[in-house]
Amino acid sequence: MSEKGLNKIGMGNRYYVFIFLLIGIILLSAVYSVSIGQVNIPFTQSMDIVVHALTNGRIGSLDHIQSESYLNIILQVRMPRVIFALLIGIGLALCGTVMQAVVQNPLADPYILGISSGASLGATFAILVGFGSSAFLSQFGVAFGAFLGAMITSMAVLILSSIGGKATSVKLVLSGVVIGALCSSFASLIIYFANNAEGIKTVTFWSMGSLASASWDKTPILAIVVLLGAALFLFQHRVLNTMLLGDESAITLGINLSAFRKIYMIVTAVVTGTMVAYSGMIGFVGLIIPHITRGIFGADHKRLMLGTLLLGGLFMIWADILSRTLIHNVELPIGIITSVIGSPLFIYMIVKRGYNFGG
Amino acid sequence: MELIAKGIDISIGKKEIVKNISILVKKQQFVGLIGPNGCGKSTLLKSIYKSLVPQKGMVFLDDIDVLKSSEKKVSQRLGVVGQFNEMSFDLSVQQMVMLGRTPHKKMLESDKKEDFVIVEEALKRTNLLDYKHRGFLSLSGGEKQRVILARTIAQQPKIMVLDEPTNHLDIRYQIEILSCVKNLNIGVLAALHDLEMAAHYCDYLYAIKDGEVYAHGTPDEVLTPATIEALYQIKCQTYTNPVTNGLGFAYGI
Repeated sequence: MSEKGLNKIGMGNRYYVFIFLLIGIILLSAVYSVSIGQVNIPFTQSMDIVVHALTNGRIGSLDHIQSESYLNIILQVRMPRVIFALLIGIGLALCGTVMQAVVQNPLADPYILGISSGASLGATFAILVGFGSSAFLSQFGVAFGAFLGAMITSMAVLILSSIGGKATSVKLVLSGVVIGALCSSFASLIIYFANNAEGIKTVTFWSMGSLASASWDKTPILAIVVLLGAALFLFQHRVLNTMLLGDESAITLGINLSAFRKIYMIVTAVVTGTMVAYSGMIGFVGLIIPHITRGIFGADHKRLMLGTLLLGGLFMIWADILSRTLIHNVELPIGIITSVIGSPLFIYMIVKRGYNFGG
Repeated sequence: MELIAKGIDISIGKKEIVKNISILVKKQQFVGLIGPNGCGKSTLLKSIYKSLVPQKGMVFLDDIDVLKSSEKKVSQRLGVVGQFNEMSFDLSVQQMVMLGRTPHKKMLESDKKEDFVIVEEALKRTNLLDYKHRGFLSLSGGEKQRVILARTIAQQPKIMVLDEPTNHLDIRYQIEILSCVKNLNIGVLAALHDLEMAAHYCDYLYAIKDGEVYAHGTPDEVLTPATIEALYQIKCQTYTNPVTNGLGFAYGI
């Protein structure tokens, strides 16, 4: 490590090595993820299909593919699913990092502002009461209901916390808890009066999170929302860093946090709302990935942000692989997987490394 | 650069905390605020660095109207060492001090070589070079305070406001911090508790009681037994310290 490199970023060129390594591992994992699943497609054949599709038919041939259905499985099921996992991992890690800075609390996650309970209420309403009756509309209705619920609750939290002056982080968290409790009780009320066992099961499954609904036609919206959010926050490291110091210090450094806080929360609410609408609630990723990344890169958002996004994406790709392969012929809800891997990892970090939230 | 605060009135709820206080910090002058706990020193300082909006009065840095200017514009000229050093996340000392460059940066501008030089210089002035890569949260109170001072120095302010900068610090750190500030040769407005320190370092003093200026002048003019008794409700004798030739105080109830 050169002295100059050390001066500049404190950990030399290791940062760049790490980033390139992460990108490489993500690509390899994505390829591996496409090649495995419940239908056993030989690796060489799935590679042929992927390469053929990615190069628009210029490289590779499909002549020796054993079954026509392989093409469909790889291109229409598994590929969008990997993209979904990557995007949702990026989005959750992004929103988690931003929310932790916004409320200055290491326990914050993307759902902290009542988004989870709002989305649950919206989804429960869509499933058990419904916006319409046709099969297509009811499927679309869950996503729509969840998104609407998430948006309404986060706006309500924002407004509630700004009553009587500046929106401080404590007021934000408390408003989130209150609105969240209110939404949960309404959702429970709907479930209590619903005479619909199948619907209640759907609600339960939805709340565990799943990537099963991934498809190409849903990818553009998710990709645009998540990647725009990521692009925005990759360049907000100055403000995010001063957020760590609190309102008072931020003002003496020329940044009035209250306005930024509102903008950041609206952006994260839109990103989280979109993700929740498509994949349900996937817990723990938004909480632990930022912490794990801080353990590697430190808490300075200048480097933390890109690292978190990549690590989040990688984590979700592997959570998805495990959810599909852990038990033969059964697809586990991905939310269970993320929590089961996530919590011991987090405990390990706290116990073993004396983790100090970024030191 | 001069700092002028004129006719500042601040009420929080129904209570008047600061009543019609005017203060002047001349170029390169070290001005102290003394007074008992709760007399309104911190509140007054907050209104000067834009954390609180006073009900009445105005604050000027030369010809810049602080209350009407943006936080950024003010923070390029006015640095603050406050009492708020609590953080939930950890940054390295170098990163922490680098944050002092924030007011001079555009949102997308990267940290240049000169910024690193400025940070290095600030770390040297505060004797923190060996701490560069330590985590801020792992430091002791005195070390944290020095890091905050280094951050404020890296901000390159023309005027520095310090709110009880030596609270909880042992005698060595108190002297280190105040000497360091004094050597910057910029205008300073500091709320201080230790009268001997105030007498030694300040060029001018404002004594505040119940939100009003009770007395002001050079330390010799202000720090009289009568004024001290009125401010703190204790008996006090002053004397010339035979060792330092500075002002000494003997207290009693």
